[in-house]
Amino acid sequence: MLIPTPMFGVALATLVSATSAPLGDVESLSHARLSEALAAVASEHPDVASLHRVGVSREGRAIEALRLTGTEDPSNHPALLLVANLEGPRVFESGVVLDHARRLANAYESDESVRALLDTTVVWFVPRANPDAAEGRFASPSIERWASSIDVDNDRDGRRGEDGPADVNGDGVVTTMRVLDPEGEWMEDPTDARVLIQADRVKGERGKWRLYPESRDLDGDETFGEDAPRDAQVDRNFASGWEEHVARAGTFPTDEPEARALCEFVMAQKNLALVVVYDGHDNLVEKPKSVADDAAPVKRVPPYGVLESDAELLEEIGREYREQTKNEAKGDGEDAGTFARWCYDHRGLVTLSAVLWNLPDEAPAADEDADAAEGDDGAVTEEAAADEAAPAEEEDDEVSESDAKPSDDAKHLLWIDGAGESWRFVDWTPFDHPELGSVEIGGFAPFARSEPPQDAWTKIADAHFDWFQGLGELLPRIELVECEREKLGTGVWKVTATLTNDAYLPLLSRSMQRTRTTRPAKVSLVLPDGATLLSGNTQELVRDLAGSGGRAEFEWLVHGPDGMELGVSVDSDHAGRAFRKAEVSQ
Amino acid sequence: MKLAMKTMLALVLAASVPVAQDAEAGFPGLGAARNPRVEIAWNRLYDFEDIYAHLDRLVAEWPDLLSMQVIGHSVENREMRVYTLNNGATGADTEKPAFWLDGNVHGNEVQGGEGVVYCAWYLLENYGTNERVTELVDRSAFYLLPMQNPDGRSNWFKHAHNAHSSRSGVMPLDRDLDGLADEDGPDDLDGDGSIVQMRKYVPGTGTHRLNRDDPRIMERVPTNERGIRGDWILLGSEGIDNDGDGRINEDSLGGYDMNRAWPSLWFPDHVQFGAGPYPLYWPEARCIARFILDHPNIAGVQSYHNSGGMILRGPGAEVFGPYPRADVSVYDAIGQDGEKMLPFYRYMIIWKDLYSVFGGFVNWTYEGLGIFSFTNEMWASNRNSPDDRVEGGSEGRQWFDDHLLMGAGFVDWHEYDHPLYGKIEIGGFKKDVGRVPPSFLIEEMLHRNAMFVIRHAETMPSVSIAEPVVAELGDGVRTIDVIVSNEKLMPTRSSLAVRDELGAPDLITIEGDGIEVLAGGFRTDRFRPERIDLQDHDPARLIRDEGVGSLEEVRVRWIVRGGGSVTIRVTSEKAQDASRSFEF
Ligand SMILES: [Zn+2]
Repeated sequence: MLIPTPMFGVALATLVSATSAPLGDVESLSHARLSEALAAVASEHPDVASLHRVGVSREGRAIEALRLTGTEDPSNHPALLLVANLEGPRVFESGVVLDHARRLANAYESDESVRALLDTTVVWFVPRANPDAAEGRFASPSIERWASSIDVDNDRDGRRGEDGPADVNGDGVVTTMRVLDPEGEWMEDPTDARVLIQADRVKGERGKWRLYPESRDLDGDETFGEDAPRDAQVDRNFASGWEEHVARAGTFPTDEPEARALCEFVMAQKNLALVVVYDGHDNLVEKPKSVADDAAPVKRVPPYGVLESDAELLEEIGREYREQTKNEAKGDGEDAGTFARWCYDHRGLVTLSAVLWNLPDEAPAADEDADAAEGDDGAVTEEAAADEAAPAEEEDDEVSESDAKPSDDAKHLLWIDGAGESWRFVDWTPFDHPELGSVEIGGFAPFARSEPPQDAWTKIADAHFDWFQGLGELLPRIELVECEREKLGTGVWKVTATLTNDAYLPLLSRSMQRTRTTRPAKVSLVLPDGATLLSGNTQELVRDLAGSGGRAEFEWLVHGPDGMELGVSVDSDHAGRAFRKAEVSQ
Repeated sequence: MKLAMKTMLALVLAASVPVAQDAEAGFPGLGAARNPRVEIAWNRLYDFEDIYAHLDRLVAEWPDLLSMQVIGHSVENREMRVYTLNNGATGADTEKPAFWLDGNVHGNEVQGGEGVVYCAWYLLENYGTNERVTELVDRSAFYLLPMQNPDGRSNWFKHAHNAHSSRSGVMPLDRDLDGLADEDGPDDLDGDGSIVQMRKYVPGTGTHRLNRDDPRIMERVPTNERGIRGDWILLGSEGIDNDGDGRINEDSLGGYDMNRAWPSLWFPDHVQFGAGPYPLYWPEARCIARFILDHPNIAGVQSYHNSGGMILRGPGAEVFGPYPRADVSVYDAIGQDGEKMLPFYRYMIIWKDLYSVFGGFVNWTYEGLGIFSFTNEMWASNRNSPDDRVEGGSEGRQWFDDHLLMGAGFVDWHEYDHPLYGKIEIGGFKKDVGRVPPSFLIEEMLHRNAMFVIRHAETMPSVSIAEPVVAELGDGVRTIDVIVSNEKLMPTRSSLAVRDELGAPDLITIEGDGIEVLAGGFRTDRFRPERIDLQDHDPARLIRDEGVGSLEEVRVRWIVRGGGSVTIRVTSEKAQDASRSFEF
């Protein structure tokens, strides 16, 4: 396909020459190489780019942030933060973030719209929020790691981390073991014997296989992979909806150093107005759960959800996102303890979450270059492929092939087979297991479900770049559009001012009005010596200022000499500042 | 006999303690030390430096029993110190059930600091002479942190305050969102060292009038249709509009609450005032949490606050649901004793009897960690006048101040020229009236509360293994029956810890070179030995996740082949390990 763009130059070159070993091609996204690439952007574009440190991971890796801005005083402009890879397995997303940053930096000199964006906005990129877990992608054997620290005694045997998943057969990947067992709960999918589905006794189905994670039973307790040495996940370790006493959630919110560093980073950016996360959660394709703005607390706890006023904005932003990116990938719908949820629920920040790619569940369209196939109803292709793909030889039960609907995993295999991405599924291979005896090891490979094929990388990154570039238009920006004084009588002046916000987002989201974590805009009347205030407050805090041309008007009565200088100033942390002299109205 | 033996042993082991052979010295029946080795005046309140200095004197006097470690630093870089009271001769502190005692998380609630010092002092002074103190000290450890909020304490001592101010820590916070932090707190306008009240005379247009018998007391004039109005208005705490925003005292020191910072059922500031941006945000709370997490042997917690005479336990919030029944029995037994030991204190459930607290310290230590925990609100002002001869309310307070403190606790109303309000009057009770006892009642408060801590600490679990019973089955196969019992009220694992899988399970193991363990498990019926929950895997190492309950006897049976020397061991996070060796 495709001409390598500057973004994935290295990766794509590798890809083209090494399609036989696709697993090796993401090496450019290892922690070390990603850090080098970020540093290069900063050193090649000192006028707009600078490298900052968010914190240090549990295992001592730096969490880095690249800042792009052409503003003279960054604190005077709204900021936008893009974060990826909080979870670990989705390392590709880090590359997309790096690519966004690199392209913006490269285009700053030449592209007018990029210059306009960066001269009025601060854009932060944190491509890898969880570097320890991400290293699982580059480890040997490679393993999907979410967790980076604490070790919980999951099986309550008084020992910790004694029996985690492992590459027992030495094939370089950690997958699944299946054992023939009359008590097993799993049977083969009638449409594809490689896939195991749970037998339903009510339907007269019998289990045949028992499934285990690929592991040993080193403690001899006849359970396998029951107590992995790591449990706490960074993206379950934030305070909103934190799951107490659940191993993956960690010991307490922000106990994971990565989570705490991100919290501190977000809090330190007082001008932050919008957060975007590329990872495993989504609120752009699937509408998030919402609650009424004034939903009554239950036993003093407010019900959780996106507040309706904010949800309406999100829905519109999501519609635009789908239109531009054509992405339909949804998240897992679970946001307890995530960074994105904390940003919105506890900091009031409008937070957009996108899943850049999921393993498709239909065979790829015949013509790879035909973009039109994307949105098509895949039913016909799917059935046709199912007929072809189902290996009937091993089937001995009464379910007839034509009746059977492929399971979700079988559908995924249609795509894997059709796309020739065979690395994503390891065929079941017999193995003589030291504790279990005769087993078969295989199944979906690590990263099979979340990492896009490399020939799709550029397309995904392109689509998201175009969308991301437009986000500057969402950020609230305040402006004093009118400031006048009218003489009511000798020495008595009426001063009026109008504050507007022409951006899409309101000055403060509904959630932010509740969390009180970003201060409202402060409108002050600037009085000279010798003038006295007859009516009004010298300071007004403005919380409620809608986007898309929202207005707020202010009025004062002042007593003072004709020639005095009167003015109005407005200042905020995240939507700019302004001063305007009050002109005498005609 | 057994107890006496133990005590003797401890006395021999604790070589540094000169045993008070001299029965003549002092009057042991009076309660405190008969002849104190470290004199501390218990009728005073001490600033931050003095609290640590007293504890350091105790360390110097009893270096083998008391030690200090710095676990972190406060916002203003004061040391956060834990003093560990432990007799190393009877084992490391981490091997024993431990009691955590702290005070003064709210900066103005100062007497918790003295309470912690008193507790250490009492235990040390009586170690070696009082049998029960000696036994308690020898079998347990105490982690004593006198001040959770040393900055707030220091601020309360050194600066003008009222009884309620300086509750927060001192990290600046922009409470009114105007871009400035802590810019408009109360001001000591007249410079007398007290923040008191402001009132203004507004004849015929006010809301208050002066009490007919005592014009120092302000009374609200009841609304009525005859149009009677008061001559006075109240204008709040002493202060001016420092930042010119048209409001007075709207953004004072700090403005958060470190007793809302803990991870269990934590909610942010807009749900729970003062909670901060995320749990354990402030360095004080964070280093304490780390210490407690690193000491899973902590079995009991008390946190000293003031005031109102309350022995509080969770749940802090209704949504938590009720505590498990077996744990409530333990709580009730201790709490009800506390009510008798602490006159005018009531044993209460936080959310139900007081108010809802999200993210409270003792909620975390119990709901998060499974430790039996109380918040003790020291000082019930009814103690000033234990019957109704002096009426309650303002009149009673003024009467008490006039007759027992010679008027020292009250700033008489006096004129002041206020920049906004004009001619006003300033007056009211000083900061050390209301939430802390007068000097002559401080010692009583400290002693009774220390005794309540000791009552709580004495319930910490103690596990023992009874003489095993071995029976022959033939062919060298034998049954071994063992009873493991906990002589104390507190279980080795709270029901909540069992339910929510907190902490490590207890282990009961058997070891011997000459035996092969064929089977093992817990007997479920004391009369029918065949009723037994067998553990399939590794029966020599029995896992007891439910622990050994309150005063419980756990019956263990092993079936073994062989004989010889055998050791049975019980391992528990919150009890000292027990072992017994025997031969057969
Ligand atoms: Zn308190």
